[in-house]
Amino acid sequence: MTERSRASQGAGKDLLVDGGAEVVEDPDLTVEALARAAAKKRPSAILVGATRTGRIVAARLAAKLRLGCLSDVYRLKVQGSSILGERDVFAGKVVAQVKADLPCVASVKVGTYPKMSEGRTGLEVEEVGSLQGGVRLVETLEKRAATTDLRSASVIVSAGRGFRTKEDLSLAEDLARALGGALGCSRPLSSDYGWLPEELHIGLTGVTVRPSLYLALGISGQLQHIAGIKESKVIAAVNTDKDAPIFQVADYGIVGDLYQVVPAILEILKS
Amino acid sequence: MSTFDKNAVEESIRLKEASSGSVTVFTVGRSDAKKTVKEALAMGGDRGCLVIIAAEPDPHDSLTTAYLLARAIERAGPFDLVLCAEGSSDIYAGQVPPMLSEWLALPFLGYVRKVEIEGRVIRCEQTLEEKVRVLEAELPALVSVVSEINEPRYPTLLQIMQASKKPIEELRSELLVDGRGPPRLVTTVGMTAHAMSRKRVIFEGSAEATSRKLVEALRSEGVLKR
Repeated sequence: MTERSRASQGAGKDLLVDGGAEVVEDPDLTVEALARAAAKKRPSAILVGATRTGRIVAARLAAKLRLGCLSDVYRLKVQGSSILGERDVFAGKVVAQVKADLPCVASVKVGTYPKMSEGRTGLEVEEVGSLQGGVRLVETLEKRAATTDLRSASVIVSAGRGFRTKEDLSLAEDLARALGGALGCSRPLSSDYGWLPEELHIGLTGVTVRPSLYLALGISGQLQHIAGIKESKVIAAVNTDKDAPIFQVADYGIVGDLYQVVPAILEILKS
Repeated sequence: MSTFDKNAVEESIRLKEASSGSVTVFTVGRSDAKKTVKEALAMGGDRGCLVIIAAEPDPHDSLTTAYLLARAIERAGPFDLVLCAEGSSDIYAGQVPPMLSEWLALPFLGYVRKVEIEGRVIRCEQTLEEKVRVLEAELPALVSVVSEINEPRYPTLLQIMQASKKPIEELRSELLVDGRGPPRLVTTVGMTAHAMSRKRVIFEGSAEATSRKLVEALRSEGVLKR
């Protein structure tokens, strides 16, 4: 519901559950609306986009309806009376094949299916009555545009613990600017040191990015970080430690000091 | 203990220190999961409850895990707040907290980076992909926290020793299910290593020489705009 996608294509009719505008914003109401519609229509699968809100909706709905639930899955296929899917586990190092008995609920990994065109017609509409939830929305704070920028950036320069002070991050910013890209960081810089806002944290619990070029500066390459970058087209890394795990997942690596390498790259780009 | 779980335990102890009350730590697992409970007790939990399952659980069968936790929590008596991590650090399905809220019929506030309690009202900052929502609900409620909410403490040696004296109740899962538990609907069929084919070309030498090689390589890949 939150991200309508073509994951359901070929599975039969799509159903539009109409519960009013506020329903999409409130997981409680979405769950209630979908549960009512499902009780009446008995769909064989309910697919939800695996945003944070979508994951909440899928899991709550599954518990309410006592159905199995697949979380953050892709490559879905129906086989007999069950649905099969794949999902990334162990910070993306392993792919798990999971199976749920039909009917079931599944949240579908964002970006793994093309989006459905807006204003699609021919949907069957099911209206549900008035709904009530237990959580009140007091206010909505916009996050900085940073996260959106990172998701759409074709070049990302990312900073890690190899930077010794907050001021030194200007090196990474300069390089990002020179490459026409965006700045990101690994978790320690945002969560532990507070040098950069949380919106720039790339990794399993932060933002997942898919740029053409991901350039990691002074990032060792913990599994949780790799999980957020592995779909990049080209990964390049600069690190002083030649055994750093980031080099195992990089297309190009420089074993060297970023404090010398970054100015050198800037110089080359200038000429 | 999964790293994210430590954030949930830490937050519960901070809330207890700021007001009053006590913290009970719940987990579902084999009997060796007792050491996880002890870790949380060393951090400051008051008592533990371990739901022991006989067979190795399927890591994707969240419905059963949430159901067993719900029964164990109900059995322990009245409470104000249930805190969970957003997901486990290995499977990261993030299904148990919302499912648990459904089984316990509690308002659910997920992916929370800040918790405040005033009287019987809980106010949370929920951090979504592109915005932060400030939410309120009446207690009792269920909250799942994100890792940026706090920095978990390291227990001292004394606390670790004292933790071994704190009570841990062990419950066998069969006794909690009483024939009405959820059927196992989700199974893990297989696990395969993720194929990550990267070129892994490494340049070593002077900063100038290696930088030049890198820029050339990136230009020929066509990923440099200028």
